[in-house]
Formats: sequence, structure tokens, C-alpha cells
Amino acid sequence: MPLWANPRLGLLILLVALIALFTALRPAFMDVTLTLVPLQSDVSVYAVVGLAQLAVLSLGHMNMAVGRMAAMSAFAMGLAYDRLGVSLVTGLLIGLLVGTLLGALAGLVISRTGVNSFVVTLAMDFALVGLITILYTRFTDGVAFGGLPAGMDALRNDTFADYCTGDVCGPEISLVVPLALVAVLAVGVLFRFSRLGREILMTGANGRAAELSGIPVRSRVVQAHALSGLLAGFAGFLLAANNGAFSASIGDAFLLPSFLGPVLGGTLLAGGAVSVLGTVLGAGLTQVIYKGLNLLQFQLDQLNLYIGLVLLAALSLDRVRHVVADRKGARV
Amino acid sequence: MSTGTTTAGRTGSGGRFGRVTVRPEFTLAVLAVAGFVALAVATDGNLLTRGTLDAFFRFLAVPIVIGLAQMVVLAIGQMNLSVGTLTGLCAMVAAWLMLEAGLPAPLAVLAALGVGLAAGLVNGLLVVITRINGFVVTLATMTIIEGLRYGVNGPDTFQGYSQGLRDLGTASVLGLPVVFVFALAVAALVALFFGRTVAGRQLLATGGSPFAARLSGVSNDRSIVIAHGLSGLLAGVAAVITVAASGSVNSSIGDDLMLPSFAAPIIGGVALTGGVVSVAGTCLAAFLVRLVDVMQAQFDINPRWIDLIVGAVVLGAVLLGTVRQKLSKGSP
Amino acid sequence: MTLVAENLVKTFPGVRALDGATLRLAAGSVHALLGENGAGKSTLIKILTGVHRPDGGKIVLGGAELHLNGPLDAQHAGIGVVHQERNLIPGFSIAENIVLHHLPRRFGLVDRARMRAEARRCLGLLDLDLDPDTPVSRLSVAQAQLVEIAKALSVDSKVLLLDEPTASLTGDEADRLYGIVRRLRDDGQAVVLVSHKLEEVFAVADTVTVLRDGRSVAEARPLAGYTQDQVVDLMVGRAYSSVRLADRHVDLRAAPALRLDGVSTARGHRDISLSVRPGEILGLYGLVGAGRSELAKALLGLDRITAGTVEVRGRPVRIRDVGDALRRHRIGYVTENRKEEGLFLDQPITRNVGVTVWRRMARAGLVTDRAERRLVAGYTDRLGIRISSPSQLAGLLSGGNQQKVSLAKWLAADCEILIVDEPTVGIDVRTKAAFHELIAELAGTGLALLLISSDLPEIVTLADRIAVMNDFTLRGELVNDHDYARMSQAIIRLIHMGSRPAGDETA
Repeated sequence: MPLWANPRLGLLILLVALIALFTALRPAFMDVTLTLVPLQSDVSVYAVVGLAQLAVLSLGHMNMAVGRMAAMSAFAMGLAYDRLGVSLVTGLLIGLLVGTLLGALAGLVISRTGVNSFVVTLAMDFALVGLITILYTRFTDGVAFGGLPAGMDALRNDTFADYCTGDVCGPEISLVVPLALVAVLAVGVLFRFSRLGREILMTGANGRAAELSGIPVRSRVVQAHALSGLLAGFAGFLLAANNGAFSASIGDAFLLPSFLGPVLGGTLLAGGAVSVLGTVLGAGLTQVIYKGLNLLQFQLDQLNLYIGLVLLAALSLDRVRHVVADRKGARV
Repeated sequence: MSTGTTTAGRTGSGGRFGRVTVRPEFTLAVLAVAGFVALAVATDGNLLTRGTLDAFFRFLAVPIVIGLAQMVVLAIGQMNLSVGTLTGLCAMVAAWLMLEAGLPAPLAVLAALGVGLAAGLVNGLLVVITRINGFVVTLATMTIIEGLRYGVNGPDTFQGYSQGLRDLGTASVLGLPVVFVFALAVAALVALFFGRTVAGRQLLATGGSPFAARLSGVSNDRSIVIAHGLSGLLAGVAAVITVAASGSVNSSIGDDLMLPSFAAPIIGGVALTGGVVSVAGTCLAAFLVRLVDVMQAQFDINPRWIDLIVGAVVLGAVLLGTVRQKLSKGSP
Repeated sequence: MTLVAENLVKTFPGVRALDGATLRLAAGSVHALLGENGAGKSTLIKILTGVHRPDGGKIVLGGAELHLNGPLDAQHAGIGVVHQERNLIPGFSIAENIVLHHLPRRFGLVDRARMRAEARRCLGLLDLDLDPDTPVSRLSVAQAQLVEIAKALSVDSKVLLLDEPTASLTGDEADRLYGIVRRLRDDGQAVVLVSHKLEEVFAVADTVTVLRDGRSVAEARPLAGYTQDQVVDLMVGRAYSSVRLADRHVDLRAAPALRLDGVSTARGHRDISLSVRPGEILGLYGLVGAGRSELAKALLGLDRITAGTVEVRGRPVRIRDVGDALRRHRIGYVTENRKEEGLFLDQPITRNVGVTVWRRMARAGLVTDRAERRLVAGYTDRLGIRISSPSQLAGLLSGGNQQKVSLAKWLAADCEILIVDEPTVGIDVRTKAAFHELIAELAGTGLALLLISSDLPEIVTLADRIAVMNDFTLRGELVNDHDYARMSQAIIRLIHMGSRPAGDETA
């Protein structure tokens, strides 16, 4: 593929251009504590949210319950920390397990019944949204868990600049960034190099041919959805870390960004192809727009107008590029 | 009310096959009647008191119309994620025109319908011109409309607009709220559209088998634009009902409509793959969801159980549909 | 001349489907359009009906040049068609399907009464007694086919194109259809008939055009001047008919690699017994729908085997799924439906070939592109696959190369038993010959091959023994002496022996 036809490159250029624009308009955009560190945390959360959706887009499926899977995971973590007093890592693992199981459940229903993933996860979303509020009312004061594990605070407030050996301190990078990076790398390697990820993609590309090539199609569907649940749970954890609370509202705003990142990054809804890097760039782009417009005193709700326009523009450009590429290809 | 227009339609033509009983609409009708009677008995007839009954039907109007708005795009195998926010935008525009621009109510109503229609047509044209998946296009326009909706009046509420319109919203005719009768009339028109008009039949042909439709000279592009346009128009209708019945509107109108808009048609037996619609099924499903709603209010149940139940019902309905399909295939 | 289509050219990515084909039709005659699979018949029909636009050539109807921008244009020009695939809207009634392209309206609404009346008229032309209100989803395949013909008649057509109209009809139904075709001809219509059933063609058609490799090798000749054999020669080309493959030596004492003994399946196969030795090609001949692919899929565990035993290399086995068949028993299946079941069209060639062997290639669960490219390079050389790069998408390859990729996948997986289903459907004649040599060569290396084919010359050229299947049972088995005339007669006799008169055919 020629360089100009790479959608990731366009996204990167747009990202850099926007950062330059916002910095020119409001130098505060480059303010480390005010903008850059919170921006890193937000990008981290929404990149992982995007990956949670990407995990099932690889199959040509959707997960309409990403937000609620995140919320259930976060609830499990909060409960474990508050009532059982477990360590940071143990609680995280418990929560991720819950997310994985929820995803696997959705995948199981889809692969066994053959019902459209949109419907199954939509129904699951309805069911979970009710359940979550009920659970929070029963186990907390109705809003959030009180008890937090050791280390949660550092995850929220610290950057590597707070850790020094001698005179050498780390860069101003939030502690959640490397956590998200691990997820990004893991998912990237999974779909690029691992047999499991490749077989999931082949199942998405052509399920019948996949089955006739000896791929256990049903397990792959369950595994992809389980991965989606796992990543949703992880995103829930990162958001809770950023907010400093395991609350009922976690995941409420996940659905739209979960599609924005992958779609901006060039992942098809049809399945069979994903772009992990594109998803991260897509998530970065949306968050930069949010932050930048916010600094320019736009109201939060109004920002959506611009996000939507960027999405539409990016998609149309992508389309134009395809058409041009097709024409060029046809002439050869 | 008009009968359902499944394309499989006229199944019981002449009643020869006595198949009426196996149609999903029949099951839903039985459930609706049984549920209504059961609830009336369980509340010691409280449900049948004038005030309760009036509220029951008044707040059934919007769910019916919004379900239909989703149904018309499901008919061609696409989705419209923007129905909810579009309803909000149209409502805000209507209120703004009356309060700020001083337009008389009828003109404001027409303008709201016009905005809905225009936005729907834009959706359709974007799908046709860019060839991007309808889900993604309406995801983008939903985001844009969200911003526009907020832009009309910021965080403030519009109230005290046209007394006549608000009176109409609370008025009754033949013991039924005017808005409910209006919604039924709209449903009848939609049924007529799909059952008897050339455009409606062509739209279903597109949904049922795009290639076969093309061979018969049906323009699939035209069907797509019409379906999205009609969906937008129905969102406008839902907005008018909201403005009339609620007495005040703000920028959060429509936020809670997107997911229910899918629930009604899906429970009502509309296939996500397109080609099949059921106006009666969609209306009955909306009725059932409303019944659950009222049950919650009557028994003072945590409202969150509603979502849980609706989720379970959606999944159950779809599973039932799959089973029914398998059975009917098994016995040709 | 009613309609002349001259020097039509149509290119699809990777294939030149039409390369200067010419069709001349006269009013009041039945014109046979013949050619092998992939010769370009369907493409020609789709151009004449406005589905595809030609890249070159012109269409002249009644003296005026015709520019078709869509199916509706063709209908307005008076060209009616019944395509090979079923094209009815599943949920609609018979009546609505018949008149969909010109729904009668009154006061802006569909006029149901007129719609029914028009449908009844068209059904009447075919002497069909069907209720126009019946949804087409409730019709049998044959009924649906007849409804499509009625639909084509509802266009006030000067030209009627029938693409394999009797493929799913019984003998009686076909006779009735041809009665109608004759009547239409006598009414002055030009009817084009595409059929692979030569007996029917010779019984009903007046003139013939033969396509080969997208070109017309016989143009509007009187059919009476030909024998069936001559037409077949024209279709396949002399060069191909005389292909003679090198003799292979099959060790007849070797134990069978695959043996079926009294196998019955949930799909309806009864008492199937056959065996293939290493290095041997067992041909499994039968007409479309005889149950051959279904047997292959049952062997792979995709359908239940209800009785009998399956032995692989002498050991009775129970195969659970394709993965099991592949990894444990080394059985591969090259599907007949390569676009939908064989290939991942939007994926690179590397992945298409590597998919069966990732398990083996993986180091710590990871597969590198480099290892995959190395694997593919081996097979592109060995099979002579022409690709521009290993990362080329499989969908952009020509039919023959696609089929080779589909085959490479199983060779890569080290299969010892290979079931090859209709390997040369939709592949041009030259590639076909090369493919036959390849298959013989594979058998020469010791592979046990089960060759499923409904192409008589192919099976007589390749197979060592030929099992004949009809209606999900085996009719018999023949040792192939590669004498086409004798073998084809013996095979046809086996099919007819004790079977119904329906679906008879000679190739």
C-alpha cells in the first residue's frame, strides 16, 4: 500500500495539526498539570474502550454493552476493595474476571443461538443497567464505594515525575499510561501475530470458510466477546482510577467513544480487519478535540457537534481515498 | 388500528391456513391483554381509574412513534442511531420558534417536522453517496445533532410556550388522550405506506433482497433515502408529541429514546436483516414495555428493575423468533 | 435480425469474462447459447439485461443501438429474463413478485385487484394453477422457477432470455416449459435458451451460438447442421478433448487410506461404501444435487453419520469437526464453492494459505509474516500460482489462481487424503488442463484423492475408478479405461438404472 493511502498517517497529521492549532490559540494547551496529564489519562481510558469494541468488530460483531460490562467489572472491584480489603492487583483481577465472564456470556448466547450480536448485547445492556443501580443501592450509599486500596491514590494523582532516583526524575507521564500501553500492545500482538487473533479475524472475514478450514468458529466468537468484556473491565478500572472512585456512573459514556476510536482508525464494521494503532490515534484525536474546544470555552455538550463533523469528514475522506485507489488500481 | 404488515404478510389470507395464531403479533396481543388485565386486577382496579389510564396512554404515544421511526430503517436492514437525539433537536427547535421567534404553534410544528425530515434525508443521502455503513453514518450524525440540540438553548429549559399546543397534549377524545390517538393514526399511515404504496413495497423489496429488487427496476438508493427520510420525519412527529404532552423541553430530550427505539420493533418481530416490518407488533411491544413501566410505578418497585426486565424480554423475544423460524423451516 | 450484440467485452478484476462475443437473434426462433461453465454465458445475459455494462462492443435492437443503464431499461426495451439464480423477494406474494417492476396503482396506492389479475394472466400463460396471493417463500424450487418465468412474461417482451430454466424442474415440468417456449416462438418472440442439457437444447432450439473463453466460436448457426458431439467439441475445444495424462501406477495391494463401509448420514445418504488408496484418484460422479458434496461434509464432521463405519488408514474413526479431520486424520476438503467457502477474498494470499498451518508455524503462540511468506512462496512455485505479491488479496486473483490458493491451503497442511469438489468449475479451458495435470501429479506423490465432479470428460480423464452417485446412494462403481465414449455411456446407464426419469442428462 502506498504511503498516502494509509489512513493512520492522515489521522496522525490531523492530530498534530490540531495540537498545533490549539496551542496557538490557547498556550495553556501545553500546560502540563492542567492539560497534558489529564489528557494522557483520558486518552488511556478511551483507547482501551475503543479496543474493547474493536475486539468484536474484528468478527463483524458489535458490543452495545461495553459501558455496562465496564460498570459491572468496576462494581466487582469496588466491592472487593471495600468489603474484602484485597490488594490493588487482586481486586483488579477479580473485576477483569467479571468483565471477561460477561463478555463470554454474550458470546456464548450469540454463537449458540445465532442471534445478531447487536440484539444480544443491547438486551444485555438493558439488563445490566438495571442490575448495576440495584447493586450499588444495596451495597453502597447509592453512589460509590468508600474503601479504596493502597496505591489507588498514586495511580490517580502521580506522574513519573514524582518518582526520582537521586536527581533524575521520570517524565511527566501519568501512571495509567503504561497500563493502557500494555493493553494496546497485547491486543496489537494478538491480532497481528497470534494464531488466536488471526483465527478470530478469519472468522470475521468469512465464517463458513473459517469453519471449513478447521477453525473452531464458535469458540473464537466466545473468545472475542470475552476479550471485549475483559478490555471493557480494564477501561472501567482505569476510569475509576482517574476519578478516584468506583461509582455507578462508570461506563455511562463509553458507547459512543467505543465506536469513534476504531471507526476513525479505519477498522471496518464488516469484520476481518482491525487497526489497533488507528484506534489509539482515533481515541487520541477525539480527546484532543474535547480538551482543546473545552479550553476555548465551548460547552461540553456542544463539543459533540465538532466530534461528529470530524468523524464524518474523516470517513468521507477515507471513502474518497478508496475510490481513488480503486481507479488507480484499475488502470494498472 | 391497522393490522400488521409483515411482508410475509397476508399469511392468513382468506384465513385458509389458520396461521394467524402462530404470528408473533398474536402472541404479543395475547400478552398485552393478559398483562393489562392482570395489572388491573393486581392494583384493585386502580389502573382503570381515569387519571392512571389517561397517563398510561399519554406516555405510550412517544414510544410507539419512536419505535416506528426505527422500524422504517430496520425495514431496509439498516439502523438509525440518531432517532433519539433528532427527536430532542426537533422538540427544541419547535419550542425555540414559538418562544424566541414568536412563530404560531402550527408553523412551529411544521418546522419541527421539516427539521426531522431534512435530517433524515441527509442521513439517507450520506449513506447513498459515501457508501458508508448506515450504522456509522447515523453514529456521526447522532453526535452532530447532539451538539446542535444543545446549541439551541444551552442548558436552559423552554417552557410556557403555546397554550393551545399544551392543551392539545393533555386533551382527550373518546376517553383517550389526543396524542395517543394521533400516534395510532401515524401508525396506521405507516402501515398503509408499507402495505399499499408503491414506495413502501419497493422499500421492503430492497430490504428483502436488494439484488432481486434491482433486477425488478427498484432503485435501492431511492429506497434508502426514503427510509431514512421517513425515519427522520417520524422522529419529528415524536418531538411534536413530546412538546405538546410534557409542557417543557430541554437539551436532554431524546437521550433515553435510542435504545428503546430498538426494543419495540425487535420485540415486535421486526428482523434486523430487513425486508420484514410489523407495525402492529411494534405498537404492541411498546404497549408491553409501558405496562412494565406502570407496574413499577404502581408497586413502587425500584425503577431499575424495568431495564432489567426489558432487557430480558428483548432477548426472550428474539430467541423465540429464532426458535419459531427454525420450527417453520423444519416443517415446510 | 431482432437483436444483435456485437463484439462484447467485459472484464472483472482478474478475469476477462467476455472477449469479443457476438450474439445474433432472429424473431420467431429459439436460439441456444452454449458453452462450458465460465465461458461467459451468464455474463453475456447480464449485459443484455442491463445488470452489467459492457467494456466494449454494442447492442442493436431493431436497428437502433441500445444503451442499457439498468435492468429497467432492458425491460422497457422488451428484453425479459429468467436468471440462473432465484431472484424473488422472499416475503412477497406471487402476484407482487410478478409485477414488481410495474406495480399497478390507483389513487397512489397499489391496485391489488389489477395486480392479481395481471399475475393470473401471466400464470395462465404457463397453465399454472397457483394462488397469486401465496407468499413465494412457501413455493417449491420448481414452482419458484415457474413464477420467475411468469414474471419474465409479464414484460411485453420481444426477446426472452432463459438461463438454465430447467435446472430444478422435473421432466414433466420441463416438457411443459418447452411447450410454452415453442408457443412464444410461434408468436414471433426471440427466445434465448441457456442449458447444459444438450438433449433438451437439440429438441427445442433452432439456432446456436457457442461461447468458449468469452469468444463466440460458432455464431447463430442452424442447430440442425450439428451433432451433439460436434457441439461438445466446439464447447471444450479440440485441444482439450485430446489431453492424455501420463499413466500413473497405483499399488493395488496397498491398504485404503480412506474406506467407507455402509455409511448412512443424517442428510439422507444410505449405505455408502467406497475406498481410496494412496496414490489413487477415485472419481465420484453425479449430477448437481446427487449428494456428493454433502457426503464430503458429513465425512468432515459437519453432518452426523448415523450408521456404518469410516476407516482412515485402516482404523475406524469418528470425526468431530474439520479441525479434527485435518489435524488428526490429515483429510482436506477443497470446496466447490471457493468464493463463499474456500477463500477469504478480502484477506491476503499469505493468510489464505497459512490458515490451516498456523498451529504448526506458531512459536509461543505467535506467527510471523516472514514464516508465512516463506510457506506461500513454496506453493506458488509448486502450483504455478501467478500473484503480484504474497500480500495481494485473494479476491483479486483469477478463478484458476484462486482455486490453486484454495488447494495450496490443504497441501500446506500435509493432507494425505484430499477431497476435491468440482475443481474446475468456472475455470477457463487452458487453466483447466493445467489443473488436471496438477491433480494427477498430486496423486503421483502418494496422495489419496476423492474427486467429486459432474464434468464427465474431467472424471474420465483423471479418475482410476469412478463411483456414480444419484439421489444420495451409490449406483455402482466402474474401473476407468479412459475411453470417453464407452465410459460416459456406462456412467449414464448407471444413473438411469432403476432411478426416476427426472433429471436425465447426457453430457
